[in-house]
Amino acid sequence: MSARIHTSTEGESREMHKHQSVMRRLLRLVPLLFGTTLIASCATGRIDPTDPVGENAKQIDGIMRLSGYMATAVGIFVAVAVVIVIVKFRERPGDDPNELPKQIHGNRKAELTWTLIPVFMLVFLAIVTIPTVFDLSGKSDGRTIKVEGQQWWWQFSYDVDQDGTDDIVTANEIVIPVGEEVNLDIRSNDVIHSFWIPQLNGKKDAVPGRVHHWRISSPVPGIFYGECTEFCGLSHANMQMRAVVLTDEDYDEWVREQLTPATIPEAAAAKSGYDLFGRHCISCHVINGVYESAADGNANLTSGYAPNLTHLMTRTSFAGAIFELYEEDGSVNIADLKEWIRNAPGQKPARPENRQGMISFAETLSDNELDDLVTYLMTLGGPPPLMPS
Amino acid sequence: MAITEERPEILELESGDTSPSTGAFARPTNASGWRAWVFTVDHKKIGIMYGVVAMFWFLWGGVEALLIRAQLFTPDGTVLTAEQYNQIFTMHGTTMVFLVIMPLAAAFANYIVPLQIGARDVAFPRMNALGLWIFVFAGIFLNLSWFLGGGPDGGWFAYAPNTGVTYSPGAGMDFYALGLQIAGIASLVGAINLIVTVLNMRAPGMTLLRMPVFTWMIFVVQLLLLFALPVITVALILLSFDRTFDANFFNVAMGADPLLWQHLFWIFGHPEVYILILPSFGIVSETLPVFSRKPLFGYSVIVISGAAIGFMGWGVWAHHMFVSGLGPVGVAAFSATTMFIAVPTGVKILNWIATMWGGNLKFTVPMMFSISLVSMFTIGGLSGVMHSVAPADTQQTDTYFIVAHFHYVLFGGALMGLFAGMYYWWPKAFGYKLNESLGKWHFWILLVGFNMTFGPMHIVGLQGMARRHSRYGPEDGFDFWNAVVTIGAFVILIGMIVFAVNIVRTWLGYKAGTVPQEPADPWDGRTIEWAIPCPTPEHNFDYVPVITDVDDFWHKKYQPDENGKLRKVADGNEIAQKGDQNPHLPSPSYWPIVLASALPLIALGLIYNLWISGIGLLLLLGAMYGWSLEPATDPDAGHGDHEEHGPDDVDPPGDEGSELAEEEAPVV
Repeated sequence: MSARIHTSTEGESREMHKHQSVMRRLLRLVPLLFGTTLIASCATGRIDPTDPVGENAKQIDGIMRLSGYMATAVGIFVAVAVVIVIVKFRERPGDDPNELPKQIHGNRKAELTWTLIPVFMLVFLAIVTIPTVFDLSGKSDGRTIKVEGQQWWWQFSYDVDQDGTDDIVTANEIVIPVGEEVNLDIRSNDVIHSFWIPQLNGKKDAVPGRVHHWRISSPVPGIFYGECTEFCGLSHANMQMRAVVLTDEDYDEWVREQLTPATIPEAAAAKSGYDLFGRHCISCHVINGVYESAADGNANLTSGYAPNLTHLMTRTSFAGAIFELYEEDGSVNIADLKEWIRNAPGQKPARPENRQGMISFAETLSDNELDDLVTYLMTLGGPPPLMPS
Repeated sequence: MAITEERPEILELESGDTSPSTGAFARPTNASGWRAWVFTVDHKKIGIMYGVVAMFWFLWGGVEALLIRAQLFTPDGTVLTAEQYNQIFTMHGTTMVFLVIMPLAAAFANYIVPLQIGARDVAFPRMNALGLWIFVFAGIFLNLSWFLGGGPDGGWFAYAPNTGVTYSPGAGMDFYALGLQIAGIASLVGAINLIVTVLNMRAPGMTLLRMPVFTWMIFVVQLLLLFALPVITVALILLSFDRTFDANFFNVAMGADPLLWQHLFWIFGHPEVYILILPSFGIVSETLPVFSRKPLFGYSVIVISGAAIGFMGWGVWAHHMFVSGLGPVGVAAFSATTMFIAVPTGVKILNWIATMWGGNLKFTVPMMFSISLVSMFTIGGLSGVMHSVAPADTQQTDTYFIVAHFHYVLFGGALMGLFAGMYYWWPKAFGYKLNESLGKWHFWILLVGFNMTFGPMHIVGLQGMARRHSRYGPEDGFDFWNAVVTIGAFVILIGMIVFAVNIVRTWLGYKAGTVPQEPADPWDGRTIEWAIPCPTPEHNFDYVPVITDVDDFWHKKYQPDENGKLRKVADGNEIAQKGDQNPHLPSPSYWPIVLASALPLIALGLIYNLWISGIGLLLLLGAMYGWSLEPATDPDAGHGDHEEHGPDDVDPPGDEGSELAEEEAPVV
């Protein structure tokens, strides 16, 4: 039977073959096009809302996909209609210019239909959306962490013993235990910022004078990247953050370490760095246990805050989480750290003359002094419980 | 300006003294040269000047866009510093919204609306000129900031408190606040003028529901402007007072809530979106029927949905604030209202497609731009519905997904429509068509460049690339698409160069006689602006037509035969008016430009030294004085015959229609 078909279609098949080979060549282009497109578009980086991990982010992802599919369906419908119109109803050579197409002034029934169908679709979308809005806005029974945005870094404070005062104050990296829906109280100390770790949840603005509630959680340990997404001035592009999700044991260990105040170092270089810190840095920075003079709201910065450095080396990044604190081999990134202290405004746009960002010490500190200062900073705790992979 | 001896005589004007030489100041008389443009009160010249100035700013806004794209071409771009980047993206948005799309729409509104309603001019010709010159000075003033210490750096949305002196110590944001204030006066003047024009000056028989859709949409837009501008005026005054006089409207330390700014800005800002898009909706509602050779499908539905969009546009502003901390009730409510504004918009799209369905489509350049509006705007509208899902918006907002969305709306929608309008009405304004094949090159290059630029922004946006970041890192994975986007932006540039070449070449060709003069009705038009010669005579209409139908001019050309079948009964070019009358027209005036020039002086004084404001204020008062005491007409105009006919009532030959129709005219 199959042989018969072969013979009977041989004549046509040559014709078909020619046709097909063109088609096939064209078709081969399609996966190629798609392939490059996909590879390029899947080359996502550290910030990636398309790969939700936290429960809230997954819930958002589901409703976003739903709306995306609906929009795509309607879009295809309109596109097909436009293409049909263009192909079918275009003027052709030989059309009688005096012959008018049928003059239709409207059709109430058709118009009613295409008013009501979108209405039904949107009612459906609203029914799905509104409960989700309320779901995402509630508080969980997990712990609460204070989040404060300021130009151009984030501060996270933990009230471990729940006595109303913050026991742990850290910068740029929010550390949370795995599997717990952590409540965030989001504030700002200067202009409006927006807190966003897309794999864990959507954004929430940090507005001065207001406290906004939000939640994040992750079912797996790991480091998740985020950034400020409300335009907050000069260095808005350089205000990143990380969420470090730890197992319960690691988290408890981290809390224990953070609660331990710093001590005065004994080694000569570190001691020298410690003294330099006391001379040049303490008008802005706090190190619990040794330098606590830079009270909140200090006058050297419009926001009143600079990062608390007590356990600097337990973090993986510095300066608004834009520089890695450790090299890939686990050693400290001394070069960037030293350059940062030497001339911060050269490393990250800032306006220290307007009390926005860290000043330059290029004129103030010698190279040896910078080395001592870095040596001292390296004594401040560490290493981090989790390194970026 | 010398004060003449005859000053007291103006008091006698009311008593019937029509001596043209009365008045404190003479009026300019120039009919040619630069003075004919600078002192003109003719709505057509004013419309063209709006267009020319807007296209100049379009060039500058485009350069700003290309600088932004050059910076983002690679990770860690070094073309611009963060400071320059912030200023340039702020001014790119501000320029494109306030100095390009709004005045381009004003250009069409000024030029076309009086022609579509059969009027000699707008209701207040001198105010019309005032609006233009205030807009011109607003643009210059805003951009003066580049030379006086740097542009505004707070974003076009200018969220407090980042725009206060503490965080934005330069003068840039002062220029922003005062410049937009001045531009707002221009729009307000224009809005009132056009509202009065549309309500009072329609040809006899043109009821509101016989009005062309373009005029309808412009009318809705002017109402939106009238009510939206006061809101941003208030917001900008608060900002200026904070910055200039140390007020505390946005000072959090004194108990202010910065969300006040966001509410005020977006209560203006969302209607503003419809202010930008509805004129283009009007334009394609004119072009699609003409080039499909079919009437608009559902005229009343399109008009009503346009009005509905204008109305519902007031109830959706907080969707710009889904992550600002409104609370779930507010978010849910605005999420729902935003979804439902998609309904009238969707109805329009489907009605336009139904207009083309079954038609006999002529693919002229204006038609191609119009169809691209229908399809590109749809993409922007649908991504807009995706943002209305508030939880999804918490991931999308402030990413390039939003940038993609509103460029599909404002470029793919508003600008494509405005280009359609330019190609469509070019012969009416200048007497010749733009070159069709260059126009097609312009169209295709622009369409490809547009999609290359803004299409991939959907992808990087969903991947999490944030807006308003002066850099991204190599580790972010945004490089590929950003390179594509930047290349696309330069493709747009090529398309616009083709457009510029087209304008210059056809203009030179027209002067050399190789580009033909178009007759009155080159496109087989439907509305009465095609019933007068191309280019429009200075007085527009020899006589005011009496309107009996929607698409009145078309019905004069096509009528049903004995079988009820529509037949062409007349050639549009033959039945068109000849433009050979010479009726009295309002005289030019010195004062609009003088008065307008006072405003940037006052504003500069508020930034630098109040004495400059004093000079500006004196100039303002002087100009108002001159304006009020200007004689009604110039002495040399040669039309001392006021008793015989006023400006608007030349009777059609052998027709008493205007008297008759006046009774039915003003009603709906």
